[in-house]
Amino acid sequence: MLKIENLHATVDGKEILKGLELEVPAGEVHAVMGPNGSGKSTLAYVLAGRPGYAVTAGRISFQGQDLLALSPEERARAGVFLGFQYPVEIPGVNNVYLLKAAINAARKQRGEPEVDAFEFLTLVREKMRLMRMDESMLSRGVNEGFSGGEKKRNEILQMLVLEPRLAVLDETDSGLDIDALKIVAHGVNTLRGPQRSLVLVTHYQRLLEHIVPDRVHVLVNGRIVRSGDRTLALELERRGYDWLIGEAA
Amino acid sequence: MSSAVTEQIRKEYGAVHAALPASVIEPARRAEAIERLCAQGLPATREENWRYTNLRVLEHVRFAPIETQSQAVPPLPEALPGFVRYVFVDGLLRSGAAGSHPGLTVRSLRTPGPSSSATWGPCPDFPEARLALLNEAFATDALLIEAHANAAPAAIELVFAASAGAQAGASYPRVHVVLEASAELIVLERHMGAPEAASLVNSAVRADVGENARLTHYRLQHCAPRTAWFDTLTAQLAAQARYHLLTVGTGALTARSTVHVRLAGAGAELALSAAALADRQQSHDMYALSEHVAPNTRTTETFRGIASGRARVAFNGKIAVRERAGGSDSRQSLRGLLDGPEAEVDLRPQLEIYTDEVRCSHGATAGKLDQNMLFYLLSRGIAPQTAQHLLKWAFLEDVVAKIECAELRRQIERDLASQMSAAATLKELL
Ligand SMILES: Nc1ncnc2c1ncn2[C@@H]1O[C@H](COP(=O)(O)OP(=O)(O)OP(=O)(O)O)[C@@H](O)[C@H]1O
Ligand SMILES: [Mg+2]
Repeated sequence: MLKIENLHATVDGKEILKGLELEVPAGEVHAVMGPNGSGKSTLAYVLAGRPGYAVTAGRISFQGQDLLALSPEERARAGVFLGFQYPVEIPGVNNVYLLKAAINAARKQRGEPEVDAFEFLTLVREKMRLMRMDESMLSRGVNEGFSGGEKKRNEILQMLVLEPRLAVLDETDSGLDIDALKIVAHGVNTLRGPQRSLVLVTHYQRLLEHIVPDRVHVLVNGRIVRSGDRTLALELERRGYDWLIGEAA
Repeated sequence: MSSAVTEQIRKEYGAVHAALPASVIEPARRAEAIERLCAQGLPATREENWRYTNLRVLEHVRFAPIETQSQAVPPLPEALPGFVRYVFVDGLLRSGAAGSHPGLTVRSLRTPGPSSSATWGPCPDFPEARLALLNEAFATDALLIEAHANAAPAAIELVFAASAGAQAGASYPRVHVVLEASAELIVLERHMGAPEAASLVNSAVRADVGENARLTHYRLQHCAPRTAWFDTLTAQLAAQARYHLLTVGTGALTARSTVHVRLAGAGAELALSAAALADRQQSHDMYALSEHVAPNTRTTETFRGIASGRARVAFNGKIAVRERAGGSDSRQSLRGLLDGPEAEVDLRPQLEIYTDEVRCSHGATAGKLDQNMLFYLLSRGIAPQTAQHLLKWAFLEDVVAKIECAELRRQIERDLASQMSAAATLKELL
């Protein structure tokens, strides 16, 4: 599904990713952990094509195509979804409009007709129930005045409606209360399947109890310095990152 | 330069004054207006409150009113339910339900009629109101709208359409709105023109809002692309009066609106909401003075302006709180969006306070489209152009959403979308 080779990326001229390698096969869930400032969000943004994040070397292939050759909106339509660490508030653009425009953009790309209004609302309502979100949120501005946890749920709602091939969720678990964490995890799990892949950026082992990863990677100073199975997350929880930072240097 | 223009005005006035209708404005008062205007001089760009106005257009226009009425009426927007429509072409009333509606008297002063207690005294000595003197000298018609005490709420639509080219002359829309105590009225003003119209439009509007009365005043300026539109609005609010003034400007080559609202009675409230959308070489400039003279008065001001191409958008909002206006409250939120490297937005919030015990908050920011918002939309698969249209749309919604009349709001939204060439990308919203 996703193959990243020797990825170097700079932000404002400063190199953040320094030869990152990562492969996520179809149907798998990979967790990326690592200290603050190690480059996890940078990786997520580079995957989504955020302007200002310059790839200076390396390759990213997504379903066999060169991801870096695509614009951000083309990546989204091809099935890449980024769940933002800090979802953006857009007053005046309402949620339901955004969802519909996003769905239709992907359908247009695939040569399908626009979504039927009734079908669309039924789908959105079902996913909202799953996320235990109040329907009144649909008519509000995108993330406008949402609490931190509500914003994260809204990200997952969008993901569930868009059904991406590859979802990169950047700290979707931070800011969630215990119940919300379960709801979000449940939402994410409903999307798991043989033809989808998931990259979970997280600081906490707790999320991984609910969304069990196939692989865990540790990102330190712009590189993956260790990979393992889910027990690696438990080890990190016990030992922190210092031992790996030492090794990486 | 300015004196050459005033000489031109005097000359043109001399040639036509005998034919100007005395029932609209008495000859002596017209003559006085000309004298005052020439004595004070036309506004000049070097003046603080006229810096952003394209005044050079005044060097190339004819001031005398259009004489022969064109038969062509430009296509009018769809009528709105509940509104009684009056259509003016080149400044003269062409059609409209004459006479009275329940609780309402509307009449053109061009046909002499019963005298009214409502008087529009000479222009106040408000230095920015000089162009109203020009209107006072040349006006060929005036509409008097009186909403009587405690009458049922009513809605009136005034369409001012220009049909002729610059050579033919200017037009002078003139309206006096009077709300007696506790009256409620909605006035919708549209300024528009046929595509070839390149004339000067210089309007003067006055509103007297009585005690506890409520005036909702929508003003849409979508004049033809070569029009020079100048406008002076003065309003006086009595105790507990509420005045909601909402303007949307998209048209004209140069548009300047001068607004002076006096909150003269205790507890009076002004909500001023203005949106401007300018492109190409357009310049849109609004100067609004809200003068608090009585206690516990309130002003809420919202401005959203988008400048694209080489356009310039300016909003100069001054709030003056006089000595006796303790307990008053004012809020200003002014925002500008620069859509292109050659566009210009100038926002000036001004506060002049002569008393303690006032609350005020104001903010003014001008900048480009928010890149975080833009990327968020792209990351959901939305095309860059659609994303930009959406964000501009959302920006103007801060003002447009305040339009309570749903049909009117939709009309304005459609108009804004087509001005942004976004009717196709935003069709789901329209
Ligand atoms: N515009 C910028 N200019 C310079 N450095 C930047 C810029 N943006 C981000 N960085 C730096 O890039 C590094 C990686 O940031 P990134 O957000 O990817 O970290 P992260 O691993 O997601 O951290 P966290 O766990 O705190 O979310 C940080 O040191 C950050 O300060
Ligand atoms: Mg991060």
